[in-house]
Amino acid sequence: MTTASNPRSASGAISPRLQLASLSAPSVIFTVAMIAFPFGYTIWLSLQTFTATGMTRFAGADNYVRMISDEQFWNGLTITFYLYFLSLVLQLVFGTVLALLMFRAKKLPGIVRSLFISPFMMPPVVAGMMWLVILDPSLGAANYILTSFGLPPSNWLASPAFVVPTLALIDTWQWSPYVALIVLGGLQALPPSVYEAAEIDGASGWQVLWRITLPLLLPTLATATILRSVDLLRFFDLIYITTQGGPANASTTLNIYGFRMGFEFFQLGYASSLMVTLSIIVLGAVIVLNRVRNAVAW
Amino acid sequence: MSDAAPSDRSLQILNTVLLVLAGCVVMVPTLWMVASSFKQSFEVTAYPPTIIFTPTLDNYVALSETTPFLHYAFNSMIVTMASTALGLILGAPAAFVASWTRITWPAIVTLVARMAPGTLFLLPWYVMFRQVDMIGSYWSLILTHAVITMPIVIWVLIPFFDNIPRSVYEAAQVDGCSPARVFWRIALPLVTAGLAVSAILAFVFSWNYFLFALVLSNSDTKTLIAASFNFIGEGSTNWGALMAAATLIALPPLILAVIVQRWLISGLTLGAVKG
Repeated sequence: MTTASNPRSASGAISPRLQLASLSAPSVIFTVAMIAFPFGYTIWLSLQTFTATGMTRFAGADNYVRMISDEQFWNGLTITFYLYFLSLVLQLVFGTVLALLMFRAKKLPGIVRSLFISPFMMPPVVAGMMWLVILDPSLGAANYILTSFGLPPSNWLASPAFVVPTLALIDTWQWSPYVALIVLGGLQALPPSVYEAAEIDGASGWQVLWRITLPLLLPTLATATILRSVDLLRFFDLIYITTQGGPANASTTLNIYGFRMGFEFFQLGYASSLMVTLSIIVLGAVIVLNRVRNAVAW
Repeated sequence: MSDAAPSDRSLQILNTVLLVLAGCVVMVPTLWMVASSFKQSFEVTAYPPTIIFTPTLDNYVALSETTPFLHYAFNSMIVTMASTALGLILGAPAAFVASWTRITWPAIVTLVARMAPGTLFLLPWYVMFRQVDMIGSYWSLILTHAVITMPIVIWVLIPFFDNIPRSVYEAAQVDGCSPARVFWRIALPLVTAGLAVSAILAFVFSWNYFLFALVLSNSDTKTLIAASFNFIGEGSTNWGALMAAATLIALPPLILAVIVQRWLISGLTLGAVKG
């Protein structure tokens, strides 16, 4: 700030402070118009009801009252958290294991890194198209592999019981390498001295892993958890492209439900209240997880 | 580290084997998609699936003949490039100011766009764009995709600007340079690598983004990603063409991602993780 109030340039035509403000003005205006105002508008919409003529009428908390007594809302909330926890645990475990394997490899060819970024850089929509074909119940390669090992075939995305675990598996395939690269960064940042000290103390490989490496990695894992939570709680693309929330609403997360309410049934007021609720859940999760990260920081 | 004891060696071998196995799990589905796109139609749905086949471009030809694939690709290019450019124009000065003044709250506000579900914004945008009759226009797509690209540009660029020594700015100021001149003449040329990285990441994310175009585009302005539904509809009769579409849509982001992979993780996590 001291540089901004430089007396020499203060005598100039436009003060530096004003110049700095004008440099950031376009982005501030854009942020207000496209992010902040719409955010507020959605909250306002969530308090409105739309009449037959397309006019809005203030409805107070009506939409939220409706939400609490809406079975589909609770169904969506349950599926959102089921998918969230299942995917999160799977990709944290696989990601950490993958990171440890990469870290312990004597030399890691650059091509390996390139291969590992390919799943999460491809559009989720493409991943959906690809897995639709692989997981096709009658002609897909996945069922062929299962049956050739003598295992029963699965209906995968077409089965109400298996659709959420299948979506979690696809997301785990896509994002475990991402978690792995984050954790690998954390591993490489650990001071080598701790390992040397442990080696001198004669600790075994497992002891080092459980007592030293993993506890020191907790902040990194917390960061990965925050980043994945934001995406997983809003899980949309992959579901919409593969099942549109089906079969029989078995994969209708809160996000899918809100989208369909808004753009298939055009109940903009009710859809807004669903989206405000989901946003509060995501922001709440970020705040709580951020506290956890600060608590485990070293 | 120390002399390789026999158990160390076998551990190292086990490590390599597991890593190769993981690499296969990661790569095989993608390779299967690419392979299927080069199979003849009867072979794509062959059961048991075939691994050895004579490659053909039939599916790609069918794709361009039966669907307006090139038109969608053109739309994707327009929306992606324009929203990336807009993200840079808006984001680069904002990142500079945030780095200079250490005032980051405006940048943090843009993170709301990263955290809230897209539908939250889509509902009011839909009402707003309908009022000005912009639904289905390229502009509605470019503006909404800039909400994705601008935060990426800002957060990727802030550390690049932070890396410029403070003394460089101060020397310029003593010479009578105004902040705007410092930005254009001194800071911007020093962060060209950052500009390239942020542009590429913004491009990838705008290209991959599904939701906004799903609602705000029409049959004329539909992007490749939003048109995926058409391909799946067609694909129920022709898997080969579906896999050809999937392969082509995935190609630009994958190529670009490999180019910026050194900065990928810090960019994707908006600076939360140092790459």
